[in-house]
Amino acid sequence: MNTTKKLIWLAAAAALGLSMTACSSGDSGSGTSGGDTSAAGAATTDAGTTTTTGGDALVVWTWDPAFNIYAMNEAAKVYQADHPDFQLDVQEVAWDDIQTKLTTLAQSKTLSELPDIVLVQNNAFQKNVINYPELFSSFADSGIDFSQYPQAVTDYSVIDGVNWGLPFDNGTAVAAYRTDVLAEAGYTIADFTDITWSQFITLAEDVLAKTGKPLLSGQAGSSDLIMMLLQSAGASLFDADGNPTIAGNETLKKAVALYQELVEKGILVEVNSWDEYIATFVTGQVAGTINGCWILASVQTATDQSGLWDITNLPKMDDVAGATNYSANGGSSWAITSNVSDYALAADFLKSTFAGSTAFYDTILPSSGAIANWLPASKSSVYAEPQAFFGGDAIYAKIVEYAASVPSNNTGAYYYEGRDAVSTAITEIINGADPDTALQTAQETVEFAMG
Amino acid sequence: MTRTLRNLPGYAFLTVAAVLSLFPLYFMVVSATNTSQDVLGSRLTPGTNLLQNVRDLFATADVRSAMWHSAVNAVATTLVALVVCSIAGYGFEIFHSKGKDRLMGVLLLAMMIPFAATMIPLFQLFADMGLTNSTLAVILPAVSTPFLILLFRQSSRNFPHEILEAARLDGLSELMIFARIYIPTMRSTYAAAATITFMAAWNNFLWPKVILVSPQYQTMPMLISNLTSGYVTNYGVLMLAVLLASLPTVVIFLVLQRSFAEGITGAIK
Amino acid sequence: MTTVAGTPRDLSKARRFGLEGRRNLTGWAFLIPAALLIGVMSFYPMVQALILSLKSGKGTNLNWAEPLWYNYERLTRDTIFVQTVKNTFVYLIIQVPVMLILALILSYLLNKKDLRFKAFWRTAIFLPCAVSLVSYSMVFRTLFATDGFVNDALLALHLVDAPVNWLNQPNTARTVIIIGLLWRWTGYNMVFYLAGLQNLDYATFEAAKIDGAGPVKTFLYVTIPQLKPMILLTAIMSTNGTLQLFDESWALTAGGPANMSKTMSHYLYDVSFRLTPQFGYGAAISYVILVLVAILAFIQMKVGDRRD
Repeated sequence: MNTTKKLIWLAAAAALGLSMTACSSGDSGSGTSGGDTSAAGAATTDAGTTTTTGGDALVVWTWDPAFNIYAMNEAAKVYQADHPDFQLDVQEVAWDDIQTKLTTLAQSKTLSELPDIVLVQNNAFQKNVINYPELFSSFADSGIDFSQYPQAVTDYSVIDGVNWGLPFDNGTAVAAYRTDVLAEAGYTIADFTDITWSQFITLAEDVLAKTGKPLLSGQAGSSDLIMMLLQSAGASLFDADGNPTIAGNETLKKAVALYQELVEKGILVEVNSWDEYIATFVTGQVAGTINGCWILASVQTATDQSGLWDITNLPKMDDVAGATNYSANGGSSWAITSNVSDYALAADFLKSTFAGSTAFYDTILPSSGAIANWLPASKSSVYAEPQAFFGGDAIYAKIVEYAASVPSNNTGAYYYEGRDAVSTAITEIINGADPDTALQTAQETVEFAMG
Repeated sequence: MTRTLRNLPGYAFLTVAAVLSLFPLYFMVVSATNTSQDVLGSRLTPGTNLLQNVRDLFATADVRSAMWHSAVNAVATTLVALVVCSIAGYGFEIFHSKGKDRLMGVLLLAMMIPFAATMIPLFQLFADMGLTNSTLAVILPAVSTPFLILLFRQSSRNFPHEILEAARLDGLSELMIFARIYIPTMRSTYAAAATITFMAAWNNFLWPKVILVSPQYQTMPMLISNLTSGYVTNYGVLMLAVLLASLPTVVIFLVLQRSFAEGITGAIK
Repeated sequence: MTTVAGTPRDLSKARRFGLEGRRNLTGWAFLIPAALLIGVMSFYPMVQALILSLKSGKGTNLNWAEPLWYNYERLTRDTIFVQTVKNTFVYLIIQVPVMLILALILSYLLNKKDLRFKAFWRTAIFLPCAVSLVSYSMVFRTLFATDGFVNDALLALHLVDAPVNWLNQPNTARTVIIIGLLWRWTGYNMVFYLAGLQNLDYATFEAAKIDGAGPVKTFLYVTIPQLKPMILLTAIMSTNGTLQLFDESWALTAGGPANMSKTMSHYLYDVSFRLTPQFGYGAAISYVILVLVAILAFIQMKVGDRRD
């Protein structure tokens, strides 16, 4: 039995070793790594039972240091001017990781681990609130005036007439082109403004013939452009009751046919991944792009192309009732979680900054390009400043102007299912399948997922 | 010379394999010295942007903290896993019995289910114990794996029974035989197991990101995920981070690979 | 069975049983920590997942399915799931045998006494699996882009007339995934064979040499039989890994085009985290994977684990 005794000792030693490593990591987590924690963050308890630290500290999860995190920290500064005790701990979490955490916490009913405020992508808002209403606190009692936002933007996060999200990141679609390439073919940006897609195709073919440069690129099998086309005509993959309307949807059929034509005529170059898509215009292979206005941040990384770009509105779909030159892609909104330590404080903070401070938006626009959805801010003179990268054009004023005209988009809880099914259909159609059959299959796929 | 010539097909095969294996690594190293625009343009020559990438990376992300958290998790997982699994693998083979074979069969089932399916109940288990954000919660699900147990069991088949019997005759206890004779003999198996376990723990992504709810405990894979989450990805900086994240595994392999090469002759006879 | 044959002492039956019984107990004691950990960390959540797979609904609104096996029955009607099963088996059937044979050849070459630069070859071939998925997927997507390096090479060698659109056609996209898997995991498996080779009896190789066996014969009749336990291990592991494959499908092709390269695990992740969360349905997918792996592992054990 000597052996057994020794085994017990071994097990005990192993357990001890384990607990020691556990402790030491906790210590060094805040010790050696210095500077990784802001004043509020450092107070987080080792056991991690809760991340709130008493006082006025609010914890925020969001991504992108140059954009969302920066904006949140600036908002905190603005609020601190009137509330010196206010503390905000902005923690960086990628969107995919936020979604995984939200799902895990909701599914395991561990809501006490939620932060106070979290940024949610507009396209995923309905899905999260409808499936996990217990994750969030609504803005019903916040006193925020949502009529100061374009309806198309607030609609992403309105469920049964209740606002669950405060729009921040602007997803208004723009058409950005290389003016030097257009000039080489004898055109200006004005020739591409307020046009229809059939006019666009004529112009783009001419540009391609004269300069050898296509005007558009996109990820193969991505339905981004199709979705923007649909929204530009006020159409969607779902009806008001959330039922899929993919089969027999004339606008969708036209959008798919249009996409096919763009690819076949070589005006839109299909690439395999997001990185390659960015590379197409950053390295000058294509002379333009159509996407949410946030794409301009990537466009501007091509510093050698400064002054050569300009933006305008989208081409409009031909022969479609309700077609406009305006659309949107992406964007995101702030949500207050159900675990918020002080609802009144969180709501007041958001109300006084994101939904109430022109000065705040005036600060973040020039340094991060974060464009306000909050209409009063867009009247500020900062928006009319000329932008050197875009040939001195006041692009921010333009984008804000476009935003007001974007038709609403009904995402519904099954937005991603719908998008995936349409992507599959597009791939099949490009490879020669009959559009009606492919879209019928897509309809059945979505209905199956919903059933 | 003739010997080298005779091995020519072998060398040719190895050269092709090595070139194919190293090319993406070369791209990673070169990209870490290039600007984002050059990386996207698939530039294959070294650039001059390394210092700028270093500055940008350390300004936007807390690399030291993430490296530290990753290292603690990976080292703790590896040490505990080696002890727990090798002793079990040894037990399965040396004290082989029908019942133990059946147990092994049952334990094997544990690795056959995708982690995404068991993650939520596991999370709930640790949350109920108040162990979220703890190293213990990160490593416990990874320390006892059927794979490692099986690796040690399979390797133990070649452990010479004469040595075992001789040790028993010398009056060594079973545990001492394991500690004093088995462990040194099976050094190459331990080296392989340590390399593999460290690598898996270092690159583990889904579970740490879920159980370490609070972002200040972030590990390298999470840091890299953050670098690609913004509207603008700086690919030069990203590749530098990826390079840094790959280094520890490479170092571990370089250190331990001497054990792969050691012949049995010296160790046992 | 461990026997005490060869022990010079003459033991009585009773003493012999006592000794064996005690050793048997010691053996069990050695297994306990590992078995307990697996019990709590794996089997407990697996039972929970099994229960979950009998429930249907979305989000946290889950109820007992009607009938109980509804999720499983639904899987048979799910065209995307059926497609992912087919894709996964294509990967399994082509990639696993090729990879293991390559790994065997490489480890055999690397174990040769007179080979030069051993450490270099070994490191170079192992390194791919140490590289982060991010850089690996970026490099592979760049290499296999329509105007990428692979197409340039093929065109230069006149092997193709026009650039191949690798990632956007079902069979070529699957090929890229298989190449990616081979690239990343061959060196990994080679490490196990190398470790296995170290534990082999060198005398058998000398004997083969004396008998006049050439390198191929030595490899086939001396090396491989002795490596059998390790080959079995890697075969089970690779089968398991391929049936649960997620990374390559997610990062290289995003499952495209049109779900033609998506794996079962990728779909499981989709229905759990990316699409409308249906954890009951996801759990059912995971049990299908479990059953498939278990059947294949059982067959491999039966074929490869016979004790001679």
